[in-house]
Amino acid sequence: MDLNHLKQIVEALLIATPEPLTQTRFKLCMGDDIVDIPLPEIIDALQMEYKESGRAFSIKEVAGGFQIATNAEYEPHVKGLFTKSGKLRLSQAALETLAIVSYRQPVTRNDIEAIRGVSSDSSLRTLLDRKLLEIRGRDEGPGRALLYRTSAEFLQYFGLNSVQDLPKLREVEDLLSEEPEELV
Amino acid sequence: MVIKPHRIDLEMFEGPLDLLLFLIKRDELNIYDIPIAQITKDFLNFVDLAKELKLHSAGDFVLMAATLMKIKARMLLPIEADGDDEIEDPRTELMNMLLEYKRYKEAAGAFENMERKERPHYYHIPPSWNPKQEDQTALLEDVKLYDIMLTFQYLLKNYEEPSTHAVAVDEVTLSEQAGFLNGLLQAKTSLSFSSLLEKFESRLIIVVTFLAILEMLRSHQIKIKQTKLFDDLLISRGTKFGS
Repeated sequence: MDLNHLKQIVEALLIATPEPLTQTRFKLCMGDDIVDIPLPEIIDALQMEYKESGRAFSIKEVAGGFQIATNAEYEPHVKGLFTKSGKLRLSQAALETLAIVSYRQPVTRNDIEAIRGVSSDSSLRTLLDRKLLEIRGRDEGPGRALLYRTSAEFLQYFGLNSVQDLPKLREVEDLLSEEPEELV
Repeated sequence: MVIKPHRIDLEMFEGPLDLLLFLIKRDELNIYDIPIAQITKDFLNFVDLAKELKLHSAGDFVLMAATLMKIKARMLLPIEADGDDEIEDPRTELMNMLLEYKRYKEAAGAFENMERKERPHYYHIPPSWNPKQEDQTALLEDVKLYDIMLTFQYLLKNYEEPSTHAVAVDEVTLSEQAGFLNGLLQAKTSLSFSSLLEKFESRLIIVVTFLAILEMLRSHQIKIKQTKLFDDLLISRGTKFGS
């Protein structure tokens, strides 16, 4: 199959896919057809085409796959489609909770509260409701507390390809050596 | 002298550690040589305010106040240096907690930036119909534990106990209910959770039955399907049914 034909197929898949298109899913969709061009290369070619023809969207690499998203400049108009359940910002408490889970997963509620020094029940609930976190099993220790992890939606929400792409957590030594003026 | 704002909105702090970090920054204190007497005094002023405001997290602030006073008291006690043991500063634990919290607070700041950067992008989300979905019982594959919990909570809330007659305490056990479900599934290939609800007269039996369902689900004796959130749970035979 030539690049042009593959580009069209991938474009169709990107338009219809409910979640980021992964290599595995792409292979599955292609069935017995012989594909001798790697998916990232096809994506690059499409991306180039969108850019050159001035499309209002582009392909983003998120959560281990590819997905079409509208470009940032159209936000003022596009957000009108989502007046009610549109993009709400996460609260400071939710962001802190999410940060702790993403660097230390899997964690229990107790682990989170020990670090934050404050009850984190409602932020956990919010994050579960928004599917940014999920429950993955139980702790082995006493009480068998629920364990929390980040989800694929979490990666997409923050535009990350995998948890490895998270910004590095600062080392404690690093914090100790700084001047008081720079604190917080 | 540092000019201190005499009133600070306590709700802007995420908790006692956040407040302590604020006080340390405001007064340019050294985080690994915290003047405990001064910070305790300042902190207690805030706690009084928190109690006055009946803040949701007031308890967490009171707990921290107690910790600070404990440290303060220990710092006043003469140190008994016996042997070569290194004497631990009573403030060490607090310092470590503050530093640990600070790391994640910073990370939360980075998350906020990522969120801001991603916000203006909208993804194409196809309409919720699914071409593979051929009948009403078609499944939503990834039913998570949390979804099941929510559904149970929802169904329980909408369940009204019959008030026409007195209900005696039923002695039901998990294995009894598991056996009961087993029997039902022998006769029928699948049944819905709501149809089970109609059979029982008390919440206790429903709860025990639900626990039995979770237990049987765990051991693959049954399977559960759900078409959408809060929808009825459809129970059918699992791979190890009857074992």
